[in-house]
Amino acid sequence: MFHRSELQLNRDTARRFIPLMVAAMVYLATLALAGAVVVGATVDRWSEGLRGTLTVQLPGGRGDASVAETAARTDTAVSLLLETAGIATAQPVPASDLESLLEPWLGKGNLPADLPVPVLIDVTLDPGARIDLVALQRNLAGVVPGARVSDNGVYLERLVRLARSVQLVAGVVMLLVALAAVAIIVFATRAGLSMHRETIELLHLIGARDAYIARQFVTNALWHGLLGGIIGVVLAAATVAALGVIAGEVALPVAGLRLPEQLSISLVLWLAGGLLIPVVAGLVAMGTARLTVMRTLRQVL
Amino acid sequence: MRANLAVQHSGERNGVVRFENVGVRYGSGPEILRDISFELEGGSFHFLTGPSGAGKTSLLKLMYLAQRPTRGLVRLFGRDVTVLKRPELPPLRRRIGVVFQDFRLINHLTALENVALPLRIAGAKKEQIEAHVTELLSWVGLSGQVNAKPPTLSDGEKQRVAIARAVIGRPSLLLADEPTGNIDLDQGLRILRLFEELNKIGTTVVIATHDRSLVSTFRRPELRLQGGDLTLHRPAPTGVDRLRRVDPLPGA
Repeated sequence: MFHRSELQLNRDTARRFIPLMVAAMVYLATLALAGAVVVGATVDRWSEGLRGTLTVQLPGGRGDASVAETAARTDTAVSLLLETAGIATAQPVPASDLESLLEPWLGKGNLPADLPVPVLIDVTLDPGARIDLVALQRNLAGVVPGARVSDNGVYLERLVRLARSVQLVAGVVMLLVALAAVAIIVFATRAGLSMHRETIELLHLIGARDAYIARQFVTNALWHGLLGGIIGVVLAAATVAALGVIAGEVALPVAGLRLPEQLSISLVLWLAGGLLIPVVAGLVAMGTARLTVMRTLRQVL
Repeated sequence: MRANLAVQHSGERNGVVRFENVGVRYGSGPEILRDISFELEGGSFHFLTGPSGAGKTSLLKLMYLAQRPTRGLVRLFGRDVTVLKRPELPPLRRRIGVVFQDFRLINHLTALENVALPLRIAGAKKEQIEAHVTELLSWVGLSGQVNAKPPTLSDGEKQRVAIARAVIGRPSLLLADEPTGNIDLDQGLRILRLFEELNKIGTTVVIATHDRSLVSTFRRPELRLQGGDLTLHRPAPTGVDRLRRVDPLPGA
């Protein structure tokens, strides 16, 4: 007794769709957020692996006779690289690694002996060192004709730019979704106010303050926000987990690019998000409902 | 006779209700009320009579702050209602008890909860509310319907719930719109006596009715609305009346 609210908003059948709408919004926003997190983590990992590295590519020789020649050219290039100021290490990529990189295209063990496989040299720079790539390229080509230097930083920069764009889009999606959710709450609250106009007028006439009436909408909105938030987050987590499983079945041939690792978000992060997102949804719904009620009621006597 | 007359009491108290040249019209229609001027002193008891559509409900609405006048001045408890700020309305409204003609009960709340509403809104404690409300409900003859919901009550019972809700907060001003319209004569007299009791402890009472027998039985001054004008009529004094006129509140 006395626990019943006068408006009984939870009994309005028309309001039952609100948690579902909120759930849909939270689902989309959570997916966008998860995408941004995954992309961010991936970029971090790539950055760590690729920052301060160069790759030098030498043309491969043909046939058995060229093996010695190739080795000699590799040695020349490596020693030139090591003499260059700012270069810490220069390590030829082992032939077996190269073969495994080609495997997806040629199949295992199908590499013809006379295929001119280029030699790759992984170069790491001293921390903070800046190398004149043009000069290095010219010097290398002087001793080993056809040598090419590629700066991994350039790829990295492009990747980072792409990743940041993806994150920006994810942010915009979250913002739009949040605005749509706010609009839903505003409309639902206004509909509730007009549906219960008579009861609200009665409450006013017997001395209720706007805040007293707002409280009933606020409680209702908080509950809808929390419920919708929980449903949305759980569905989003399930979706990302499913994507992770599917991604786990894809083996990318590029070293350091293992998808399952990149798609999965740590359990801690999910738990934090799982708690935080519904709470944020609830608070946003609450604040929106209160503001809507207070502003609407200001116009009545 | 134009109703520009203060209700004659000792005049020491400020008027609880004061209208000056009040006019009300809806949209661009004719004025429902025009140039209404009167003053109700604290502790007074009036009937408000007049044919249907004369504007009794409009006049009451002005008094319970459901409507603002189109023109003129309305003062309640010394406050000009046309310039009241929104946060100032609830404290004023809590001093006014209203019996609406259409009861305006909340259908999903029990009789007890409906009657308790003004106390609950004012923030009273639950224990206090319940004892108080139960007592009042039994006084209006509804002790058996404490937990009944309005849809299961007869019109007469609903009316008594509405009356209990109006008086539960011991209002300074009690406004009743046809409060005996749906109940039998005995119940009606009983309700009127409840209003008289409240009046004795200082509540200003205005009862809109077209029940002539009620007006003649209780011999109270009558505000008569007709054609948008208000006139005051006093009952002819009788011996009994003179005795009853002794003011219950010293200094009032």
